[in-house]
Amino acid sequence: MRRIIDNDILTLIIRLLVGSIFIYASYYKIIEPVSFAKSIWYYHLVPGSLINLVALILPWLELICGLALIFGIQYRGAVLWMNVMTIIFMIALTTAVVRGISIDCGCFKAAQATESSAMDALIRDVGLLILTLQLLFSRSKKWMIQKIAT
Amino acid sequence: MLKQAFILLIVSLIFSLGVNLVSPNKIPYIGSYRELSSGDGPIVPPTAEEGDPPFIAIDVAEMEHSMGKAMFVDARDDIEFYCGTIPGSVNIPFDYLPEENTDQYIDSMMNNVSKDTPIIVFCSGEECDLSLHLARNMQYYGYTNLSIFFGGAREWENFNLELQRSPECEE
Repeated sequence: MRRIIDNDILTLIIRLLVGSIFIYASYYKIIEPVSFAKSIWYYHLVPGSLINLVALILPWLELICGLALIFGIQYRGAVLWMNVMTIIFMIALTTAVVRGISIDCGCFKAAQATESSAMDALIRDVGLLILTLQLLFSRSKKWMIQKIAT
Repeated sequence: MLKQAFILLIVSLIFSLGVNLVSPNKIPYIGSYRELSSGDGPIVPPTAEEGDPPFIAIDVAEMEHSMGKAMFVDARDDIEFYCGTIPGSVNIPFDYLPEENTDQYIDSMMNNVSKDTPIIVFCSGEECDLSLHLARNMQYYGYTNLSIFFGGAREWENFNLELQRSPECEE
């Protein structure tokens, strides 16, 4: 098991995949902050006064962590943030499912008050969490611009 | 690891707050979102059918109104529109839709906005289904981002939100 987790090729593939997902997910949120703020509002989890700040900072954190992961710069910090963000997304989606808020997730585009696909997004995030956990526990240090501080 | 995470957070903060300063889509750093309790969520009429545009509650309608990106369309006749409508609404009286070139009429009333513009259709309240019929027509003519606020002008007023009255109301 340890050998699989530490496999250099597997870790590289997951780095590229997860990094690309986060970069892609950040795109609409950065160019459409109003829509993303609305998406956050739909979840009713963030105090109104903080919604815009979260809508501005979170997409850039996704983008910068995605780039850091792919290029291997501040790598461990990026992996930590990706695990934290994925868990936060899962908590938000879980509350939406439990409270019966009918929205799509707002992960890659603006959330709408419409048919619910929060459960689909939650399942997707479980898969994403497995990948980010692999990166967290992998000891592979290959193909990185910056040496990992362990 | 924590030090690296902190560095990434600071870099993200600098970029996000800095880019927002010069972005054409900039938003205020501190949001002002009103919380309205809508009780039971959106009012959905028994005549609703599968495939109809989604129904939204008062809190969603108010939030969309304050964000200013959605167009509100009042489906009642002009007298009711003049005497109390959601501010900034466009009036397309469903009962007076022309039988010919209906699509062109609706497009012109909508100022030829893009068909994917967020549009919220409403009328008086629960007893009125003009909003539902107009929304179905607009959906048929290619508008893709429609919602129906079935609580209408009455629910808007019941939540102490301002209605817009025109001088024509007195005539």
